[in-house]
Amino acid sequence: MITFEHVSKRYPGGIAALQDVSFHLDAGEMVFLTGHSGAGKSTLLRLILMLERATRGQVIVDGRNLCTTPSRFAPQVRRRIGMIFQDHKLLSDKSVFDNVALPLMIAGMRYPDIRKRVRAALDKVGLLSKEKSWPLTLSGGEQQRVGIARAIVGMPPVLLADEPTGNLDPALSRDLFRLFRQLNEQGVTVLIASHDLALIRRMGQRVLVLAQGRLVDDIAPADIAGEAP
Amino acid sequence: MSGRGFRRRLRSWGRRQLYSFFSSLGALLSHRLGTLMTSLVLGIAMLLPLSLFVTVTNLHGLDLQQEDWGTVTVFMQPGVDEQQVLELAARIEQQQAAEVVAVSPEQGLQEFQQSSGFGQAMDLFEENPLPWVLQVTQPSMAAGSIEDRVGAMSAWLGQQQGVDSVQVDFKWLQRLAGLLALGDAIVTVLTVLFSLAVVAVVANTIRLDVANRAHEIEVLHLVGASNGFVRQPFLYLGFWYGVLGALLALILLGLCMAYLARPLEQLLDAYGNTFEFVGLGASGGLLVLLAGGALGLLGAWVSVQRYLHRFELAGPGARG
Repeated sequence: MITFEHVSKRYPGGIAALQDVSFHLDAGEMVFLTGHSGAGKSTLLRLILMLERATRGQVIVDGRNLCTTPSRFAPQVRRRIGMIFQDHKLLSDKSVFDNVALPLMIAGMRYPDIRKRVRAALDKVGLLSKEKSWPLTLSGGEQQRVGIARAIVGMPPVLLADEPTGNLDPALSRDLFRLFRQLNEQGVTVLIASHDLALIRRMGQRVLVLAQGRLVDDIAPADIAGEAP
Repeated sequence: MSGRGFRRRLRSWGRRQLYSFFSSLGALLSHRLGTLMTSLVLGIAMLLPLSLFVTVTNLHGLDLQQEDWGTVTVFMQPGVDEQQVLELAARIEQQQAAEVVAVSPEQGLQEFQQSSGFGQAMDLFEENPLPWVLQVTQPSMAAGSIEDRVGAMSAWLGQQQGVDSVQVDFKWLQRLAGLLALGDAIVTVLTVLFSLAVVAVVANTIRLDVANRAHEIEVLHLVGASNGFVRQPFLYLGFWYGVLGALLALILLGLCMAYLARPLEQLLDAYGNTFEFVGLGASGGLLVLLAGGALGLLGAWVSVQRYLHRFELAGPGARG
């Protein structure tokens, strides 16, 4: 589903965010991406979302080589990827319902269908009762779940999350990861960037480790379980 | 592409337009004061060329009794006798198909004494200083513009034997026509300049709006909105600004005209002129509204295009 082939990303000014990164994610996999801040996790996700272009190498998502895809197709690429942000990126002047409905509005879906899908997505994250609320009246964990509802409302085959547990307490983080696993069990490919190592170990999934822009480890689920906490 | 697929895409396009349309109206209504201020600036900018246009149009429409102005006065040289004058008059009637009234020096003196009040001054002259005068008027139905006809005739008259000078009252009319042509040109210049001003004001307003909603635009991009989808509400917004500005301009113009109509009518009545103040009319007003909308749209386009360009990802060829 996601393939990186010798990908390097150098920002103007010579800072190398990624160097010669190669890996492959099968459809339906759930993988964690970890590393210290500044290791290149966000850059890697931004390459998949076509927010940046690789300086070298190939990024292939859902069978499409993003390095040869013209910018005008970036919206199409992004519509097939659900992205969850650490700072939620919700619109504070729109209700929870309207925030979640945004990707469907963009797709030009009929309003009755939008209603059905938004309510289903909110139900899945346990926020159906809050559809008329404003994002700022919600707690951090609830806002994060609104962001997840927005990411899954379009039923994308790929879900990306950038430090989704960044501001949450451990109990909420566990709930969140459980939600990701549920989505994964329904066939969604999930890639989560996180530095919450304890939690990652407990999840027992494949882990990619970045350090200073290089992929230094690719740990299989079986090995994670065996490691000492 | 199948017909059904096309219809489906058309419908989803329509729904996106509807969404943009209402979201732009929402933006306008949520900043009522700001909207009013911007529209007022635009309205006043549009009012200036519009009011001048209406003024010049009304001046064009004035009944200046042009036929009276078309009369040419021919002064004969002193010493030309009646016989020669009447011969010339006959020649003019024949060749120029014009009406000729011959005024002898005696008649002229009489008229002068009666009308000028300088009658006694004329007694100082030992003999009548006035020459023979011919008043030549062309029939109003003749072909061609009055300027051309009178111009050609006065040139011809000037070449006749015994003619001292030809005075064309029409010169005044020509000067007025020149002034009106200048007025038209000024209207054009002002229209161009103030149209630019409207585009600039809308572009700047939309630029601020775009900056205020940078976060929203970023989020829209992140969840897969195309540039078109991001651009659309701002274009509608520009259009609304333009239309509202034009509407205000028309209202202000109507108020100005209502205020000026009576004193103007009284003034022109005093000159014996029947006059009706003419506005833009329904089609003119509609045109102004459409033009305002188009200018607003253009301003918004300029502004949003620049912003999106900055946001855009480098092309696949341009690897940094």
